[in-house]
This record gives sequence, C-alpha cells and structure tokens, in this order.
Amino acid sequence: MFLEDVIVLENINISNNYFLLKVLTKKLCTNAKAGQFFMIKSNDNSRILRRPISLHNIDGNILEFYYEALGSGTYEISNLRPNDVINIHGSLGNGFSTTPINKNIVVIGGGIGIAPMKYLIKSLLPNNNITFIAGASDSHSIKIVERFNFPNVHNIITTLDGSTGITGNVIDALNPILEKNNIDLIYTCGPFKMMEAVARLSHKHNILCEISLEERMACGIKACVGCSIITKNGMKKVCYDGPVFNSLDIIEENIGGTNE
Amino acid sequence: MNNNLNLNFLGIDLNNPLLTASGCFGYGLEYKDYFNPNELGAVVLKGITLEPRNGNKGIRIAETPSGMLNCVGLENPGINEFKKLLPSIKKEISIPLVANINGSVLDDYVQLAKKIELIKEIDIVELNISCPNVKDGGMAFGSNPKMARHVTHEVRKVLSKPLIVKLSPNVTNIVEISKIVEEEGADAIALINTLLGISIDIKSKKPLLGNVMGGLSGPAIKPIALRMIYQVSQQVSIPILGMGGISSTNDAIEFFMAGATCISLGSSLFSNPTLPLEIKQGLEKYLNDNGIDCISSLIGLAHPDNGVSYRERIKL
Ligand SMILES: Cc1cc2nc3c(=O)[nH]c(=O)nc-3n(C[C@H](O)[C@H](O)[C@H](O)COP(=O)(O)OP(=O)(O)OC[C@H]3O[C@@H](n4cnc5c(N)ncnc54)[C@H](O)[C@@H]3O)c2cc1C
Ligand SMILES: Cc1cc2nc3c(=O)[nH]c(=O)nc-3n(C[C@H](O)[C@H](O)[C@H](O)COP(=O)(O)O)c2cc1C
Ligand code: FES
Repeated sequence: MFLEDVIVLENINISNNYFLLKVLTKKLCTNAKAGQFFMIKSNDNSRILRRPISLHNIDGNILEFYYEALGSGTYEISNLRPNDVINIHGSLGNGFSTTPINKNIVVIGGGIGIAPMKYLIKSLLPNNNITFIAGASDSHSIKIVERFNFPNVHNIITTLDGSTGITGNVIDALNPILEKNNIDLIYTCGPFKMMEAVARLSHKHNILCEISLEERMACGIKACVGCSIITKNGMKKVCYDGPVFNSLDIIEENIGGTNE
Repeated sequence: MNNNLNLNFLGIDLNNPLLTASGCFGYGLEYKDYFNPNELGAVVLKGITLEPRNGNKGIRIAETPSGMLNCVGLENPGINEFKKLLPSIKKEISIPLVANINGSVLDDYVQLAKKIELIKEIDIVELNISCPNVKDGGMAFGSNPKMARHVTHEVRKVLSKPLIVKLSPNVTNIVEISKIVEEEGADAIALINTLLGISIDIKSKKPLLGNVMGGLSGPAIKPIALRMIYQVSQQVSIPILGMGGISSTNDAIEFFMAGATCISLGSSLFSNPTLPLEIKQGLEKYLNDNGIDCISSLIGLAHPDNGVSYRERIKL
C-alpha cells in the first residue's frame, strides 16, 4: 500500500462522460492486482474524502483508470490535464482470484463495471480460456472495449438499445453459453441487479462466481467501518474483505449499496 | 529541543498531545503501514459496547462541504471479542490505550465500565455519551443534564482508571453539562463528538443515509469545536481533549490556544493517513521557531487572561 503523488500523462474522453486516465507511478503498481482499487484525493480541500476507482490496467509503470464523470469528484478528475499532479492511495482491497489455471472462464462487465475487467482478463489470459461479455445501455457506454485488443478472447457485446452488438443484456448472452459449455468460473462487476442475476444463474449451474461490490468509503483501510455489509459470514468491510466476494456469501436483502 | 511536545495528561506521561478520535483509527493497527502508531501520544480505540452490534443498514457515509456525515451506528464486536484483540494490539503499541465505551441504558455503561476496569491493557476510559447514531441511549445521555450526571456518577463509582467524558455538541448549554460531569468525577472532558445532520438524495427524493440522520465531522465543524472548548475551558478545572475537524498544524495550535490539553485526529486521517506525523513535526517547528519550551504553555492562550488561570487550575 502506498500514498503517492503521480503525474497525469493522459486523460482521454472515450465517449460522453466516460474517460480513461493514465498516470505515471513510482511504486503504486507494486503488487497491485486485478479487482483492487485506488483512492484518488481531490485537489480541492472542501472534498474531504478520496474517490475509490478500480484498477483498469497497468502498463509498465503506467496506471490506468476508466471512469465515469458523475458527481463533483469525478468531474474534477475529468478536468485533469497532462502534467497535473494527484495523490493516490493504493492498491486497496482483495481483488479477484487470479490463480486459476486451465479453466473455462466467463468475465462479465456491465456499464462502468467494465473498468476492472481489462486487467483481470490480462492476468487470467495466459493460463485460461476466456469469454468476455460486456454489456451496457448503448454504444457510448461500451466504447472502451474497442481498446481491449486481446488475442484469443471470445468477446460478446450487448446493448439494451441494440446500437452495437447483441440487443439485450448480459444475461441474454450468458444463458446460451452456460447451456452449451462447461464453465468453471464467472467473474462479474456492474450494477447490483445485473450481478445478482449473473450470480443466480451461476448458482443454478453450480459455477463459482465472484462479484465486485461498491460501497461509500471514507478510509479504504478498514478503519472507519463505513463500508461494512452483512454477509453470510458476518459483517465484512467492502474496502478490505472485498470489494470482491464469492457470490454465495452475499445476502441480497441487506446490501446497502448505491447499486440497489 | 526534542522533547518539548511531551506532557502529563491524567497522571500519565505522554510523548506528545496527539491522540486519535474514536471510530477514525480502527483498533490501532489499521494505519501502521503509513506510520508507527507509537509516534502518537495515545491511541483512542473504536467505540465498544457490551454486546456485538452490526451497526446501521444502508448507506453510512456521505460527503458534505468540508465535512462528512456518518451513521456507522457503533458497529463493533462487543467487549468479549474486543478483549481478545488487545494482546495483538499491545504487541505493537506501547503508548497508552484509551477504550471508548458506549451503551443504550445506564446499566450497559456500568457493566462495561466494570469489565474495562479489569482489563490491564486499557489505561484510560473515554465515556461516550454523545453518539448520535444509536436509537436509544448514546446522545440522550450527553444532551440531558440529569442523565449526564447520573451516568458519570455511576461509572465513576466502578472505575478507578482515568475517566474522560465525551460530550455532544448537540446541546444549547455545553458549559452546564461540562460542569456537571466534572462535579461527578470526570478527570477530563472530550469535545466534541459529531453534530447531527442529514443529506437528501434528490434522485430518490429520500434521505441518503440508511439511518436518516448522521453525525457531521471534519473541517466544517472546527469553529464549533473551538468555540465549545474556549467556553468550557474557562469554566472547568479539568483538562480537555479537543477534536473536530483538525487537519493541519495550524488547526492543532488553534485548539491548544482555545484550551485543549490534548487533541484527537479524526476524519482528516481518511484522506491524509500521515497527518499525525505532519502535525507532530509542525508543532515541534512552531515551538522551536517561537522559542516556546513546552507545548502545554499554549493551552488557553486565547483566553482573556492568556490562559493563566486555567493552566493553574489544571495544574500545568
Ligand atoms: C471499490 C470501488 C471501485 C470503483 N471503481 C470505479 C471505476 O473504476 N470507475 C468509476 O467510474 N467508478 C468507480 N467506482 C464508483 C466511484 O467511486 C464513484 O462514482 C465516485 O466516488 C463518485 O464520486 P463523485 O464525487 O463524482 O460523486 P458524488 O456523488 O458527488 O460523491 C459524493 C460521495 O459519495 C461517494 N460515492 C458516490 N457514488 C459512489 C459509488 N457508486 N460508489 C462508491 N462511492 C460513491 C463518493 O466517493 C463521495 O464520497 C468505484 C467504487 C468503488 C467502491
Ligand atoms: C466514521 C466515524 C466513526 C466514529 N465513531 C465514534 C465512536 O465509536 N465513538 C466516539 O466517541 N466517537 C466516534 N466518532 C466521532 C469522532 O471520534 C470525533 O469526535 C468527531 O468525528 C469529530 O472529529 P473530526 O472532525 O476530527 O472527525 C466517529 C466519527 C466518525 C467520522
Ligand atoms: S472505507 Fe473505512 S472501513 Fe471501509
């Protein structure tokens, strides 16, 4: 875990409110793992909390974030220009299991939940057989996937409005795959309702499913208990015990998250 | 001058007057990757209750201008599990440990105080009668003079360890309550806990926080904390542990000048985990630059009599 001032290299407007931020790091990427996140400090002191943003990709000592400008904090980040300096804390949280070998894996990202999937695919790809389903409402919210140029990954795109890929949601794409193939593992991040549907389908097929949750966070290091949720194994902190959980551990009714 | 930050607080020699605010520093070891906790004066641990509590459901954190609301609701593993944590905490933390105790009814506080009295790892007790995030008890004790008197009295009877009573700023007359807990045997007063507030989600048209109301902390509450410490320190004869939005060395100096003997760092740790080191160095530099021997000579300097009578009353 590090606290580091990093230099902005690029902040690319991918489409609409979606951005790709690249920063030059010294130590920040050391031991960072797919599914972990970083907390970005505002340069405006009136915003006293850091913003949690997932690790999107690592390229040497360049760290990349894919984010949506939604509120004041992420708008501020979207205004960063090359050579600006920001302070980042991380890497934080547990991350996805990246040790499987010779498995058939489906990776499912919905909307901004696509963010952690690039580095996840990169980490799993050398040893596994991967299908990637990216779902969103329209072609703008999925444009980032054009930059996922992995060889040997079976890519499926779904949009609700049919502007690109299959018309429908990720479940429409996942169903036939589970019917026809032997899938060992499913990883998902996206709106809670989507992850819930993915998890139910995984449970039905007896497939291990990892889901990545979101909660409001203050400290990011299990000190404030702000991000605690009830799980089947008791109270867990999303910032520390998560954000990635085995889908079986999550008691749906009690998730207090922003994705409800 | 290397040791000009040390001071005696409640009969205990502290390396410096920097403590942590309960609930913002976990159980002491969460920040050890960022600084050695023994750099502090003492560590105030997360609030505990007799029985385990899951805390409040739903969203617990909301950012507000220069501040934040929380409604964690005292999630904690309960005193029995807490006891089991202490040996591992003690292994790494050699400075004094402060337990923050909470209850819903008077008897909870008394039972908890009795148990804490027997725990050798705990040096000081902070009686929290100001938590705004629990349905019954909590803040009710701190905002009602009669109840504040009663709970302090009963806890004092079963506790020989130094007792700090942590007060709620959600009252009209903070001096009155402070004098009452002093009369009942509090060794120090902690000021301030969080202020009650709400935040509304305009999309759902409903309060954002799971518990509707939350406690406001951070720089937004600093002027209120300073005002209360300034008022209370002129009327009592016991030391004050000051807190509320401290985020820099200058803030810390203001708190001492208002009348705080020690200070606690809270919400500002979240975005700046190394703040204690920054303030420690800042204070050393301030004292050296100004030719001041000892941090305690700053206490109450902003009072009309420059704090002379207050420092005398608290025997500094
Ligand atoms: C582990 C984790 C990983 C994330 N990864 C990404 C990512 O890769 N890309 C991306 O675009 N977004 C991601 N998010 C969501 C992102 O943190 C929020 O969109 C962002 O904090 C909103 O800040 P704001 O100032 O723009 O919005 P505001 O609504 O103004 O924020 C106010 C407060 O609420 C918090 N908040 C608001 N929405 C969320 C949310 N959905 N989750 C957590 N806190 C929230 C903010 O952090 C801030 O403290 C992630 C969240 C978590 C918990
Ligand atoms: C997330 C959070 C949890 C807290 N938990 C406790 C607690 O358990 N007991 C307590 O006495 N005060 C608790 N407090 C209040 C703080 O100790 C402190 O009094 C208050 O936050 C003001 O200081 P600050 O502005 O520096 O944070 C909590 C505050 C926050 C932000
Ligand atoms: S964000 Fe503080 S405990 Fe998770």
